[in-house]
Amino acid sequence: MARTLAMFTDTSLCIGCRACQVACKQWNELPMEEPQWTGSYQNQSHFTDKTYRLVRFIEKPQANGELQWLMMSDVCKHCAQAGCLQACPTGAIYRTEYGTVNINQDVCNGCRYCVSSCPFGVVAFNHDTGRANKCTFCNDRIHNGLGPACAKTCPTESIQFGFRDELAAKAEKRVAKLKEMGYSGAQLYGVDSNGPLGGLNAFFLLLDKPATYNLPEKPLLPQRNVLVDSVLSVGAALLVGVGAVVAFRDRGGKGAGDA
Amino acid sequence: MLKTPDWHMLIVWYFFLGGIAGGAYFTAAIADNFGGARDRSVVRTGYILSLLMIGVCGMLLILDLGTPSRFLNMMMHFKFWDPMSIGAWMLGVFGLFAFVSSALSLSPDEGRAALRRKISLVGIIFGFFLASYTGVLLSATALPFWSDARLMGALFLASGASTGMAAISLLLYLSGDSAGEGFRKLKRADRFAILFEMAVLVLFLVLLGSAAAPLISGPMAPLFWGGLVVLGLVIPLLVDVLGARWVPAVIPAVLVLVGGFILRYVVVMTHA
Repeated sequence: MARTLAMFTDTSLCIGCRACQVACKQWNELPMEEPQWTGSYQNQSHFTDKTYRLVRFIEKPQANGELQWLMMSDVCKHCAQAGCLQACPTGAIYRTEYGTVNINQDVCNGCRYCVSSCPFGVVAFNHDTGRANKCTFCNDRIHNGLGPACAKTCPTESIQFGFRDELAAKAEKRVAKLKEMGYSGAQLYGVDSNGPLGGLNAFFLLLDKPATYNLPEKPLLPQRNVLVDSVLSVGAALLVGVGAVVAFRDRGGKGAGDA
Repeated sequence: MLKTPDWHMLIVWYFFLGGIAGGAYFTAAIADNFGGARDRSVVRTGYILSLLMIGVCGMLLILDLGTPSRFLNMMMHFKFWDPMSIGAWMLGVFGLFAFVSSALSLSPDEGRAALRRKISLVGIIFGFFLASYTGVLLSATALPFWSDARLMGALFLASGASTGMAAISLLLYLSGDSAGEGFRKLKRADRFAILFEMAVLVLFLVLLGSAAAPLISGPMAPLFWGGLVVLGLVIPLLVDVLGARWVPAVIPAVLVLVGGFILRYVVVMTHA
């Protein structure tokens, strides 16, 4: 495997211009969709099969009565332990040599299990093609030495693309600096390779706790439940089975006579 | 913000009929191995019902795919930790057992009956699997309502047992075979299955805690309480326990089937 590539989104630098969102649409040839009223500048309200990159606009009331305007360019996290990849029964979802997670459109048969297996609600089903899709980190571009369209176009370098280890070090420095500057809420999300989901290959610098950005505090791998539920099912099968055996058992003489 | 897989009626029907297929098969196999000659109608009806149901299930699943022509892509991989992957394989394996058992149940030959019993002892495992894996499949998603209790597999298994037995009862009744020993044993087994399902359901709701809200007090509540709990579980059990003779023997079976369908409906359609 080649060195893992990653995306570092520093929300403290985001100005909400949405150039990334547009660049993503352009490069990936994603058609327009009905705009949604979300109560803020944000549009769409969430990832869709036609929106892989989405700038979130969060207005948070502060103690002094003023609004804090938080912006965050959100994207598929390309998790090191990816629920969608684990769930995919056809093998359409695969990990590239760079550590990113892709959906092979030539293999996906549209079972949609991955859609509900993503802890972030990223993967979407495209009704026109009958397949699931999501951000690929611009797979075609990164295999040709170009960065993803969103990172390439970001005018403030809020979105940076590169080798994961280098970006992680950069992120640690940046968060320390912000804290020094008085941003007490500044924190990294998904950078820790020993953290939830084995670390996210798209990690973030947030200015507030994850829940403010609609991110789960501790995203979990859905497949963690398989073993427990299976064992409980086996227990249930034994009980139901014994009940049925007792009910059907031939009590000497009654049914055995004519067997 | 989590996403739902956009599963609708085809999947509701699949979960329901798949439960019946699994439940009918293991009921028939248990009757075959532990019952007597008088249970022959239960055995034969159970095997053939499971074969027909699994055929319908396969078609429902293929139709539900976004790209149905690619259904065989499921067979390119085997992921032992992935309920969807194992499920696709086991559907085929179960179908094979249902087919062989059904074919052998049509023969009056005693030698073949012995072989059939041996085969069905193995098939029981796949019957139980088919009735429960759909629940485990829901548990392995990111949606809290489906996954938090980690008891969906057990719940679906209990419901698969009670609906499988009820479906056999209904068929025996319709074919005028409801006076026999087999029918009474079936009722006894179903009584236990219903009681067990009630216990699992209570535990399920307790474990789910606040994630159960859409079911017990949300828009699905009337269907859940009225349709599943009262009509599908409590009334059939009361009729059975009180021995209400004025109630035709077929009514509890029909109610259990309706309840089993409502269970799958409220679960699949609740995406909280």
